[in-house]
Amino acid sequence: MIKLSPKLSQKLSYLILFLATILAVIPVALIVFIIVKNGVSALTWEFLTSMPKDGMRGGGILPAILGTLSIVMSAIFLTLPIGVCAAIYLNEYAKDNLLTRIIKLAIVNLAGVPSVVYGLLGLGIFVMFLKLGVSIIAGALTLSIMELPVVITTARGALNSVPYSFREASLSLGVSRWQTIRYIVLPNALPGILTGAILSIARISGETAPILFTAAAFYIPYLPHSIFDQVMTLPYHLYIISTQIPNMPKNVIFATALVLLMIVLTMSVLAIIARIYFRKYRKW
Amino acid sequence: MKKIINTIIETIIFICGILSIVFVVLIFGFLFKEGFAFFKDYNVIKFIMGQFWYPDSNPALFGILPIVIGSILVTFGACLIVVPIGIMDALYISEIAPKGIRDVLKSSVELMAAIPSVVIGFVGMVTLVPFVKNLFDIPTGLTAFSGSITLAFMAMPTIVTISEDAIRSVPWQYKEGALALGATKWQTIRRIVLKTARPGIIAAVMLGIGRVVGETMAVMMITGNSAHIPNSIFEPVRTMTATIAAEMGETVRGDMHYKALFAIGLVLFVITFIVNFIADLFLGKNKNK
Amino acid sequence: MVDKIKVENLNCYYNKQCVLESLNINIAQNEILSIIGPANSGKTTFLRALNRMNDLDANYSRKGKIYLDDDNIFYMNMENLRRRIGMLFAMPIPLPMSIYENIVYAPKRLGLISNKSEQDVIVEQALKDVSLWDEVKGRLNSSAMKISGGQQQRLCIARILAINPEVILFDEPCSGLDPISTAKVEESIIELKRKYTIVLVTNNVKQASRVSDKTAFFLMGKLIEIDKTGKLFVSPQEKQTEDYITGRFG
Repeated sequence: MIKLSPKLSQKLSYLILFLATILAVIPVALIVFIIVKNGVSALTWEFLTSMPKDGMRGGGILPAILGTLSIVMSAIFLTLPIGVCAAIYLNEYAKDNLLTRIIKLAIVNLAGVPSVVYGLLGLGIFVMFLKLGVSIIAGALTLSIMELPVVITTARGALNSVPYSFREASLSLGVSRWQTIRYIVLPNALPGILTGAILSIARISGETAPILFTAAAFYIPYLPHSIFDQVMTLPYHLYIISTQIPNMPKNVIFATALVLLMIVLTMSVLAIIARIYFRKYRKW
Repeated sequence: MKKIINTIIETIIFICGILSIVFVVLIFGFLFKEGFAFFKDYNVIKFIMGQFWYPDSNPALFGILPIVIGSILVTFGACLIVVPIGIMDALYISEIAPKGIRDVLKSSVELMAAIPSVVIGFVGMVTLVPFVKNLFDIPTGLTAFSGSITLAFMAMPTIVTISEDAIRSVPWQYKEGALALGATKWQTIRRIVLKTARPGIIAAVMLGIGRVVGETMAVMMITGNSAHIPNSIFEPVRTMTATIAAEMGETVRGDMHYKALFAIGLVLFVITFIVNFIADLFLGKNKNK
Repeated sequence: MVDKIKVENLNCYYNKQCVLESLNINIAQNEILSIIGPANSGKTTFLRALNRMNDLDANYSRKGKIYLDDDNIFYMNMENLRRRIGMLFAMPIPLPMSIYENIVYAPKRLGLISNKSEQDVIVEQALKDVSLWDEVKGRLNSSAMKISGGQQQRLCIARILAINPEVILFDEPCSGLDPISTAKVEESIIELKRKYTIVLVTNNVKQASRVSDKTAFFLMGKLIEIDKTGKLFVSPQEKQTEDYITGRFG
């Protein structure tokens, strides 16, 4: 083996590391580029605002966009308050004993359970056992159950980032525990909680597996009337038209992917910017 | 008055706390109940060691060996690609990259995590799959190999961000000590930083594996969905997640097939729970230092 | 003199391990009591027992009685108790808000003030009491995290004065400060004696001799000696006390 001088070996290693980094970043750029390049031609106002036609080969994707929005918003509406309250309870009130520690550990680990398992549970519990049928509400409940551990974990992280000494200082002035949380802990944890919430919305907007059997419909060329209706959703629609429909015009598939990508990326970029901003202007 | 509001709010918080715990317990109780119900009617050994997954034949066969092997193959291949690249990436971002582009690099890696798996699956289908087919001159590009490449990039953000945290939390005194003794920066990184950050990096790899094992849509679209035991990575395979996603729509509540899919869900749950638990142990180790 | 605080046979434990043993101390009204002793002698535990900050820790348990004006503090409402017994921590902990907000925070939450003009009066008075008013009056709305450590510590005292307590506990209030800031904080403490009863935990034996009326020496969770400051420093009764104050101690 040739023995390289330390200087040269450092230079070489840096080069390899740099190339590895490029290799990791390129696919992101490539995916975005391919989708934009092929999809932008079919992306018109009409495409966004009209019903699908000709077995989905023509027309627009309005019902899919609205379906995704309705499911995601209902899910976040259900999971955010409960999740944040649960995080406050676990972090600020629960006694630090073995049971609490087990619960915290379980919640952290539940965030890593595959989304398709949640889909399975949603089907078993909400669609069949509770007889909600394949519907917006069943899909929203499934997504909210899936996202609950994530919301709790990020909210706890945000609460933990507020120094314990602030709580002590406030309590030592005779201020009650809830008021300390309300006026000291929550305002300072809010940026973290909000960033987490935006990321949650982005994540569940793109999820397909959990709504596959709980909410998504193959083809419904009208808008839902109530939360007990099935809906088309963007990710499932993309899955269908890219795998199940023969002779599907390619640019329509790309345009659908582009819409989904834009929704999800906009929110993620927003969250990243918010995080950098809040970190810079943190008061302590 | 203030006291009453105080009490009401604290009660609500308490109820939410308990409620979310009850939810979690109930839900997984349900998974266990439905999953174990399957083993009453079907031998566990036959389930785990069975080489054939023919839910529609008569009698139906529910051997998960082919799909377990499918999952392992795809996961293992993805790890071979993502672990070295991911760690190098984390090292570059945290130790070497100039400050100005550090945030840009980190954010772009994180953006990968935000792209929905169905979008990645679609792009993989129209680009990677034909590429693999032509490159190796095989009958189909829908193979375990294509799946591994796709999943490697999907696990990249998890591995990079968590390893990077671990590397950054190495106390600067360690590095300074080594540099003061005349080591080059690279020697310091290799000998001191990597060693100290090892628990965190192992945790990152475990969490990455968890992500790969649980990935559904992209795998279903790219690996070809064929539930037989493959001879090489250039053949179509089917994973556990894809099996659930592909077949759940056809089942009737309570029949064998339905219960069998719950049993697979149970297996997946146990695997990911263990993987995450190990990651958690290593993360805790890193923190205690 | 009237006793403001009476401690009867107090025992404190962390993880079932005794850190403070059968303690009996009386603290007179408007008196400054200094607690001195080496590290891990139970000084801070004692201080935090008085306003029940220890009770926040799940690993902590206690036996015994503490009376504030003849009321057992362990039967009192926790918020009321802490309102009457204020506490200053070793490190200055300004809350992440403006100087002004820091002072009106507790009075507002406790419902002690209702309108803006009352707030202004309280802020000015509290800051004057710790001679900080002239230094910060022009920037009351800037962040409290941006003033110097000594100013922050005095702001924290002002914050306590704003809720008008009866007793103030100081937990090594000058441990992080330079000599000039220390002198200013000490001045404030002596000034406060006229209105409040003060318990001061300190690592600095000279500080105890400079500011306090009475001094107690703790060692290994036990009270070794308590006496008038002048007497304790001139002719200590116990050998261990003498060793500690003359610096012959580890």
